[in-house]
Amino acid sequence: MPIPEDRPIHLPAADPPDRRRVLTLLSQAFLALWGLGAAAVVGAYLKAPEKRDAERTVSAGLLDDYRVGEGRLVRHGVTPFYVVRLDATRVLALSAVCTHVRCILGYDPAHRTLVCPCHDGRFDLSGNVLSGPPPRPLPGYPASVRAGEIFVQV
Amino acid sequence: MNGPGRQDPPARASWVDWLEQRVNLSEIFSFLTHFGLVYTPVDTHKPVREVLRDVAAKPVPRYAHGARALGLLAAILFGLQIVTGVLLAYYYRPTPEAAFESTRTIVRDLPGGWFIHQMHAWGSWLLVGVIVLRLLRLFWEGLYRAPREVLWCCAVAMTWVVIQSDFTGRLLTWDSHTYWSTVRGLEVVWAIPIAGPVLAFLLGGRTVNEDVLIRFYVLHVMVLPAFYAAFLYLTFATLRRVGLSRTGPAGDERTIHYREHLYSMTMLTVGLFAILVTLATLLPLRFHGAADPYVTPGGVRPPWYMLAPYVLLQRLPLPWLSGLVLLAAAIAVLLIPFWLRGGETREHRLRIRLAGAGVLLVWLVLSVLGALLERS
Repeated sequence: MPIPEDRPIHLPAADPPDRRRVLTLLSQAFLALWGLGAAAVVGAYLKAPEKRDAERTVSAGLLDDYRVGEGRLVRHGVTPFYVVRLDATRVLALSAVCTHVRCILGYDPAHRTLVCPCHDGRFDLSGNVLSGPPPRPLPGYPASVRAGEIFVQV
Repeated sequence: MNGPGRQDPPARASWVDWLEQRVNLSEIFSFLTHFGLVYTPVDTHKPVREVLRDVAAKPVPRYAHGARALGLLAAILFGLQIVTGVLLAYYYRPTPEAAFESTRTIVRDLPGGWFIHQMHAWGSWLLVGVIVLRLLRLFWEGLYRAPREVLWCCAVAMTWVVIQSDFTGRLLTWDSHTYWSTVRGLEVVWAIPIAGPVLAFLLGGRTVNEDVLIRFYVLHVMVLPAFYAAFLYLTFATLRRVGLSRTGPAGDERTIHYREHLYSMTMLTVGLFAILVTLATLLPLRFHGAADPYVTPGGVRPPWYMLAPYVLLQRLPLPWLSGLVLLAAAIAVLLIPFWLRGGETREHRLRIRLAGAGVLLVWLVLSVLGALLERS
């Protein structure tokens, strides 16, 4: 049936422009939220669990096994440390991780210093930087001797 | 010949014709050659034999050889890395306990294992070298200008991907030297704003442990090659739109037959493999023993392409400042087509070339400084 020319035609497809804009915006916002949610799920899944050492008190062996002035590396989790016997009764525990780029320090018993193999940074047994690039002193850990065994609080 | 009325006599129908009626072989050919070899669009409506004949008859610029075919070398090396990498993956186990052991098994006990490993290791060296040289060549000849911006961005992105592949691949052997060179290379990564902290967060801290190893493994064998292949595809899709560069000596519009081009490319490939086999057999990269996260050996250096940023990190007072410099440099290189615009005059081009050479010189000096700094 032909449409009379003088009758106005209402096209249902043509939404008012602002309604269309709002709908577009809403669907875009929905998609963006969805994307954020997906990113959060993937990110949370991908994040590796933080490695923490469960033990707080670590045994570093018997005091009598150390000679005076000897230092030993204790391979403890993500915080390896050195235990140095200072004299007959006193021991000292010091982080073995260089504060510069996390290289593992070596112990020089002759000078009683910790030396970094990467950039030749040097620390004394109080953890102070003697020379080289390390920006911060080494952290120390409280060490005690109980019944002849050395315990370190990490 | 190829009119609608053409009927193949059944006696001459080969398996190609049989397949042709069931699969669009030209489409497959077109897809495959999106990763190399054909620089012009392929008419996928034609049968594959005609397409091949068309391609072989296409003229190729005469200058497309030697230094101007570095992209092809990169594509071949990438294929080699895929093949040798897949072979290595059959025996490799990505855990801190087994990584070095399994690598040693491959290299020492398996027939030909050392060769495959050395080809992979030297191939990565050459791939990084070739892709960096290609970037320099594109810059020198001004091939980032319109309409080749996408090509340039692809070349830069591929350089990033290749360098990351090399970096992640180094750790996989869990050799003491590569382990600690990764630890030290990561210092540069941590210093990069935004990306560094995000990565550190995702890696669960800044120690290189079993989580980092398996992440690097997944990146190295799946994610990065997929990205590389995607950029390769994009490169050829761009080439089919904008064509090969005409950068030969002024007025050199001479062309050669595609067959001749293919021949010279084959010779180039043979030469490449000659170099690779020579390096792999005469200068094998050495192992130093399994990595111990509690013992740092002396004389470990960051990878060579990290030396320049490493010096910045060591010698600039603020780590975040050098990180920012790095990030800015990387973005600046990527976006060269969009900020390095201007006249097409000779002077302008000369000035840009000189500036580029200056930047390269600074980079080289920093790298040498880095090597010296590490040696002292």
